[in-house]
Amino acid sequence: MTPGYALLAFGLAVAVLVWTLWPRTGPLAHFTRMLRLTDRVLTEDALKHLYDCETRGTPATLESLAGALETSRGRVLRVTGRLEGQGLASAGGAGFTLSDDGRRYALRLLRTHRLVERFLADRTGVAPGEWHHEAERWEHRLDEAQTERLARRMGQPVYDPHGDPIPSARGVMPEIQGVPLNDVAVGSAVTIVHLEDEPREVFERLLDIGLAPGAALRILEVTPGRIRFALDGRESSLASALARNVTVVPREEGAEPELPAMTLAEVGVGEAAVVVGISSACQGPQRRRLLDLGVVPGTLVRGIMASAAGDPVAYDIRGALIGLRRQQAAWIRVRPPLEGEAAA
Amino acid sequence: MTTSLPVLPPPAVDAPGCRGCSANRAQHLTQLGVAQDGWDVLVALAGNPNTGKSTVFNALTGLRQHTGNWPGKTVARAEGAFALKGRKVKLVDLPGTYSLQAGSADEEVARDFILFGEPDVTVVVVDATRLERNLNLVLQVLEITDRVVVLLNLMDEARRHGIGVDPAQLSARLGVPVVAATARRREGLPELLEAIDGVVAGRIATTPYRIPAHAPAVEAALAELVPRIEAAWPDLPNARWLGLRLLNGDERIETALRDGEIGTLAGTADLVTPAPETAEDVLMSAAALRWRLPASFHDQLVERHFIAARAIAAESQLRGIRRARFDWDRILDRALTSRWLGFPLMGLILAAVFWLTIAGANVPSAMLADLLVDRLHPALKAFGSTVLPWWLNGLLFDGVYLATAWVVSVMLPPMAIFFPLFTLLEDFGYLPRVAFNLDALFRRVGAHGKQALTMCMGFGCNAAGVVATRIIDSPRERLVAIITNNFSLCNGRWPTQILVASIFLGALAPPHLASAVAAGAVVGIALLGVAFMFATSWLLTRTVLRGEATTFSLELPPYRPPRVLQTLYTSLVDRTLIVLWRAVVFAAPAGAVIWLISNITAGGQSVAEHLVGWLTPVGLLVGLNGVILLAYVVAIPANEIVIPTVLMLTVLVADAAGVGPGAGVMFELDRPADVAALLTATGWTALTGLNLMLFSLLHNPCSTTIYTIYKETGSARWTAIATLLPLVLGFSVTFVVTQVWRLFA
Repeated sequence: MTPGYALLAFGLAVAVLVWTLWPRTGPLAHFTRMLRLTDRVLTEDALKHLYDCETRGTPATLESLAGALETSRGRVLRVTGRLEGQGLASAGGAGFTLSDDGRRYALRLLRTHRLVERFLADRTGVAPGEWHHEAERWEHRLDEAQTERLARRMGQPVYDPHGDPIPSARGVMPEIQGVPLNDVAVGSAVTIVHLEDEPREVFERLLDIGLAPGAALRILEVTPGRIRFALDGRESSLASALARNVTVVPREEGAEPELPAMTLAEVGVGEAAVVVGISSACQGPQRRRLLDLGVVPGTLVRGIMASAAGDPVAYDIRGALIGLRRQQAAWIRVRPPLEGEAAA
Repeated sequence: MTTSLPVLPPPAVDAPGCRGCSANRAQHLTQLGVAQDGWDVLVALAGNPNTGKSTVFNALTGLRQHTGNWPGKTVARAEGAFALKGRKVKLVDLPGTYSLQAGSADEEVARDFILFGEPDVTVVVVDATRLERNLNLVLQVLEITDRVVVLLNLMDEARRHGIGVDPAQLSARLGVPVVAATARRREGLPELLEAIDGVVAGRIATTPYRIPAHAPAVEAALAELVPRIEAAWPDLPNARWLGLRLLNGDERIETALRDGEIGTLAGTADLVTPAPETAEDVLMSAAALRWRLPASFHDQLVERHFIAARAIAAESQLRGIRRARFDWDRILDRALTSRWLGFPLMGLILAAVFWLTIAGANVPSAMLADLLVDRLHPALKAFGSTVLPWWLNGLLFDGVYLATAWVVSVMLPPMAIFFPLFTLLEDFGYLPRVAFNLDALFRRVGAHGKQALTMCMGFGCNAAGVVATRIIDSPRERLVAIITNNFSLCNGRWPTQILVASIFLGALAPPHLASAVAAGAVVGIALLGVAFMFATSWLLTRTVLRGEATTFSLELPPYRPPRVLQTLYTSLVDRTLIVLWRAVVFAAPAGAVIWLISNITAGGQSVAEHLVGWLTPVGLLVGLNGVILLAYVVAIPANEIVIPTVLMLTVLVADAAGVGPGAGVMFELDRPADVAALLTATGWTALTGLNLMLFSLLHNPCSTTIYTIYKETGSARWTAIATLLPLVLGFSVTFVVTQVWRLFA
């Protein structure tokens, strides 16, 4: 074989391999997705849809099921037939309704889904936009014992990372409080309790702005089509259509203060600042690490030295010299120290 | 491993005036090392990282310790024993952690052992120079158990920094014994033993400090829950703590409440267990209350701990102690991390370490080779021929012995120089500064600055480099460092590179430049390895490793005078000898295989010749040959024996009579010119040489490293990726190089 052809063949082989294995859109990804769509998955997704309709008070019909499951009506008929056969749901005048067993089953799926999301947020580096999709896969794979083991390992969390309550093992959970962000009057101070995770693009846009459950907002202006607000000391705005996906409650007395705009990244070498809080955009392992290092409200932090490349910078945090990257320092909101505070 | 030593009785104390002095009490300490089967007292050793915890551990148990991993975790576990007043004490070293929130494997291990390992005493080692930060952990330990002794270590360093701590005041605030110590000089250890003994015997009563008031929302929940707990278990000493644990969703506590085990946990074994329904009721109301806790519940708990720690630290600190005139740490740091001096100084120091390793290893390597290969091997062979059949003689001495001897003579000297030097730099505190300076570079490819250190370690030995990744405390970055460590050209591969470069690439240049070109080519290959390390790190963190958790923080510990003897001991025993032993274990059977395939014949040809014949087409496609590929297959245990195997196989296949000692006997030739003559006679060209250098850099890790990767990751998947990725890269690169070369040649 001549070298020219050999190189060409090699290049082609690499291209084909990369295309085949390309995440999400490659043939291999399509194929595995098809394999996953088993009858069990369809049945469980149908149960979730019925539960969803029940909480929203809308009827669950063959059409809505076919839409939710993204499959043919023929296949939906087979699925509903199985649901009725197992006594999980029954067909009535206004569509399908869940039986008690069916509701328990749906709540268990919901529990697994939200637990997995909590796990992904707290213990892994999976990007927020992917939590929901990953959890959709896991919820069909974990059995009850595995779910409970996960819950124990996570310290029995009660809310998922979007702010949704996680049903308890017995299927108990409180109602979500709060109103959509666009129903809030100008001037009010609110705390975010929930961010809708679908559609993914909207969710990622909300995260980009820095919104997260627990974040404190103050509404500055409401115009038709847009809401302007202060978040962590900075002004930001959101289209009303997107604001619908943000649920807030009025801020309580004694709740976390609004964070100032100044970040630790702006504190130079030789300067000192006092920590006010960590931005709610910093969650999971990163947040826990910072807390364990002693980055809590009231901590005096002093810039000691920059590395030879300028980033990271080492700070004196409670007596230890800790190197933090600029991106991390930007999560930490600080204020200038008061008179006498910086001595010590 | 474990041999039982008799427990020594305490020495008689004659002079009563001497009874209390530390010199006398120190005699109660008898280090028992690994002799720890059966114990009377179990002591856990907790503390933040960099508090001198291991110094305390070694001072108490001696240098011999039982090391291993915690069950199911890749968290190192060390156990040792000592005798205290006639009782045998087992000491378990917990991983160094900042907190016990069970957020990482380390924290989970530490917390579970203190909570459920039923230690009689937990000793928390505290850095006196950073009291406030360290007290955070102490307070968390005090929440779990009241049998605690605080060891205030590094008192000498604190004095140097102008920090004074009043142990009595601290003890009064914490409610547990506090012992001031400088473990490095063994000061304060007798008092520590005394305190441990006092707590075990119940002579010292403890009243541990516990956070008096939590955030309002937490207090509101506790106000509802605690009365219910008290009603259900009236004898329970700490209902408030129990309430907090339940609000935290602590499953172990829930189970303990259900099945009555709570009695043993609380230290009141005769606890009256209420009806199961009552326990369920309490658990239900705790679960309901958890919905009402604020999302920042965890943050608030941590905050309260730090507020309390600050108050206690401020009260226990002595003022008016004069600081040392010069703050050496800052002066050193200013130079070592400066924009202009930082990188040149780093280059100088690392270059010095490598130069010392290479230059220093030459002589002992040659001596070992002379002794083990040139003298001992013929002697053993001659001895064997008188008592053994020829084949057993060949298999044992030409195969197993020779491979082992080769690995030892090439591997031992550089490692015995490199590892202690590196560990001394680490102990001194310089290496974290290197990571600090280089982090910007590694951050861009999604890796951790500390990967610079594990990479350097990989130049000594990849298996040791993989073990060293334990210093990277973020899961994703640690996996990146493990998988890419093989791109560091380990010292087993340097001889191959140097020999091949001088024979084939040096020859391309005019004679007076030959050695410079050859040296440049070897350095170029090493740098290419670094480039591949960065490129694959970038690729891995954006693909397969995307989902692993990631955090960053880099503690820069104060500079400390290195503990030379201890460093020598641990780096020789823990790193060098263990790695060498593993290599020998893998090399011995490889030697047998090499001898067997060369001496077993089928159809008039040896197995090796058949294999070479089959591998030749593949070899030619990537510009190598069948001999090289077979050598890499059979020499997978150690890169050190690749060249000897190549030479042996070349002679075998070419039927070159008169060269080499015979079939299956690896050898090297003293003069590179002889090697060059032999290889070019069998069809090697400059292209073969270049490709061999590339393939030596880019191929699967040696089996010792593969095994180590499996042990460290506990995952077949990551092991497979770490093994196959460089191999695929090696074949691709040599293929492309070969075809491009032929295109232009």
